[in-house]
Amino acid sequence: MTEKPAIEVRGLRKRYGEGDAAVEALKGVDMTVQPGEVVGLIGPSGSGKSTLLKCLGAVIDPTAGQMALAGRTIFDEGWTIRDLRALRRDMIGFVFQAPYLIPFLDVTDNVALLPMLAGRPNAEARKTALELLTALDVQHRALAQPSQLSGGEQQRVAIARALANHPPIILADEPTAPLDSVRALDVMRILNRMAAQYRAAIIVVTHDEKIIPTFKRIYHIRDGKTYEEAGEGRPID
Amino acid sequence: MINLAVRDVLHSWSKFVLTGVGLGLLIGVTFSMAGIYRGMVDDGKALLRNSGADIWVVQKDTLGPYAEPSSVRDDVYRGILGLPGVMAAANVTYLTMQVNQGVKDVRVMVVGFEPGQPGEPPYLVAGRQITRGHYEAVADVRTGFAVGDTVRIRRHEYAVVGLTRRMVSSGGDPMLFIPLRDAQEAQFLKDNDAIVSERERTAANPSLNRPGVPGLLEAVQASQTASRSVNAVLVRLQPGWEAEQVAEPIRRWKHLQAYTLAQMEEILIAKLIATSSKQIGMFLVILAVVSAAIVSFIIYTMTLGKIRELAVLKLIGTRNSTIAGMILQQSLGLGLIGFLIGRTAATLWAPFFPKYLLLLPEDALSGLVLIMVICALASLLAIRAALKVDPATAIGG
Ligand SMILES: Nc1ncnc2c1ncn2[C@@H]1O[C@H](COP(=O)(O)OP(=O)(O)OP(=O)(O)O)[C@@H](O)[C@H]1O
Ligand SMILES: [Mg+2]
Repeated sequence: MTEKPAIEVRGLRKRYGEGDAAVEALKGVDMTVQPGEVVGLIGPSGSGKSTLLKCLGAVIDPTAGQMALAGRTIFDEGWTIRDLRALRRDMIGFVFQAPYLIPFLDVTDNVALLPMLAGRPNAEARKTALELLTALDVQHRALAQPSQLSGGEQQRVAIARALANHPPIILADEPTAPLDSVRALDVMRILNRMAAQYRAAIIVVTHDEKIIPTFKRIYHIRDGKTYEEAGEGRPID
Repeated sequence: MINLAVRDVLHSWSKFVLTGVGLGLLIGVTFSMAGIYRGMVDDGKALLRNSGADIWVVQKDTLGPYAEPSSVRDDVYRGILGLPGVMAAANVTYLTMQVNQGVKDVRVMVVGFEPGQPGEPPYLVAGRQITRGHYEAVADVRTGFAVGDTVRIRRHEYAVVGLTRRMVSSGGDPMLFIPLRDAQEAQFLKDNDAIVSERERTAANPSLNRPGVPGLLEAVQASQTASRSVNAVLVRLQPGWEAEQVAEPIRRWKHLQAYTLAQMEEILIAKLIATSSKQIGMFLVILAVVSAAIVSFIIYTMTLGKIRELAVLKLIGTRNSTIAGMILQQSLGLGLIGFLIGRTAATLWAPFFPKYLLLLPEDALSGLVLIMVICALASLLAIRAALKVDPATAIGG
């Protein structure tokens, strides 16, 4: 396989604060994720999961190490590119614990906003949005306001939004936490399907016992360090 | 790209519109203040132009007849008539008083004038000009009188035979025109009791009632009761003459003050500007501060209510300029709503004001610019707060 890894991280460190108050949240993280792969990121509270996700998402500055996304070095003891905002917009999809949809935009425009921000014409962006909503089986709610949707529907719209610019990487922070087990497995099925369909690498941070068996590969994080492990890879039906 | 500002406002429009209405009424009050001031200036100009005079001759060392009291002998106009360049010169009197108008008392400025001479109301909206020498009146419509009404001034009843409009004193009181003789009597004649007691006092004065000089007492008393004063002489020039050419000899030779139209405007308008413009200036400052406070408060709370959404927007790659633009547009939108409501409100309630309200388009325009500047400044606080939002907070801990 000659395809470049979607995520390649070496010796990534993150320290919060200075001097006595400093906290080493990440103490040299190594991680490789291939396109189309869905990996779990598991660890106790305070182990550094969210911190790692923020570093991968170019939201906070790592302190040291290297990071390449889709074969492109973006951090090597310092950011190699200036416009992190555009990087996030074009390369990374975010899915949060809560859907965090924009309440004043309807479902379609919540999804279409990303391609629009990337400069695509409205009609084209909405067409992409509708395709994604259809793929996620919420197209019948396309013109609804986010507040009129159920929790599961909102989360599917949020996933559609994360996919809207067809990013090579999707970062999901406890995406199934507020959902019951049927809905949680639903979301995992969708994420797996989207990873396959769009060749996206997906990292799912979770505590959720219901979905952990679905991962083929899992990174355990403990005390700021990652340990790789094979998962059950149980198929979802 | 869709307009985030508009979408956000449409989503929570009631708060936005209510704020806009409140702001609008405030702006409306200011437009009215400005309108009253403009109306006063315009009234002043109308007063001067409608009097039909080119020169006002008044008592020496006074700013009469509108800004200060002035008294001139009623025969000086003859001397003025003889000066080169003078086409017409006529006596006028001005007396502000309260008259009863059927149901209520109104303050009016009673103008005494000679029919066909400067000082006559230039146009009528109803009825006719005064034709008889006595006891007829032409009233400004704002007095509330109608043709056929009678009005009592001092001892006499006057029949209202005509109506005019936009004839008000510099204080905004509507005018009531009556024949000069009657007006002089109303202004300078004493009532019967006063005349009797005056006569007794004159008769008791040995230097005026000398036994050896028959007829002296009668002559003195006649001169006391006959009125010989007016407030001003209005002069109209012959074509081709400059006002100053004629005014200058009047000042020099007649021991009187003579003002040209330009000088009268200066006296009347500058005086008005001195007090009213300070007043309107204060209002503007207060309004600017209050509306800035309202706009910045409402935009700020609207922004604080969107912190989480802003964090998400930033996380997914929305530019800071887009977010700042969204808040700025909302602020300007609020100002625009306020302006439209304010301007409309001022126009709608203008006719119910007791004073003439002149709403000038150029005032509206500068008001709009000012409101926009204030709203832009008011949004800065909210923009600062929005730009400080950390996109990392969207991911959480
Ligand atoms: N902004 C910050 N400033 C200082 N310390 C921080 C900050 N954010 C996180 N930390 C610390 O870094 C460590 C890792 O935090 P992180 O949020 O990554 O944990 P987590 O694995 O996501 O935990 P949880 O499962 O509770 O969400 C913790 O000790 C935390 O206190
Ligand atoms: Mg966390």
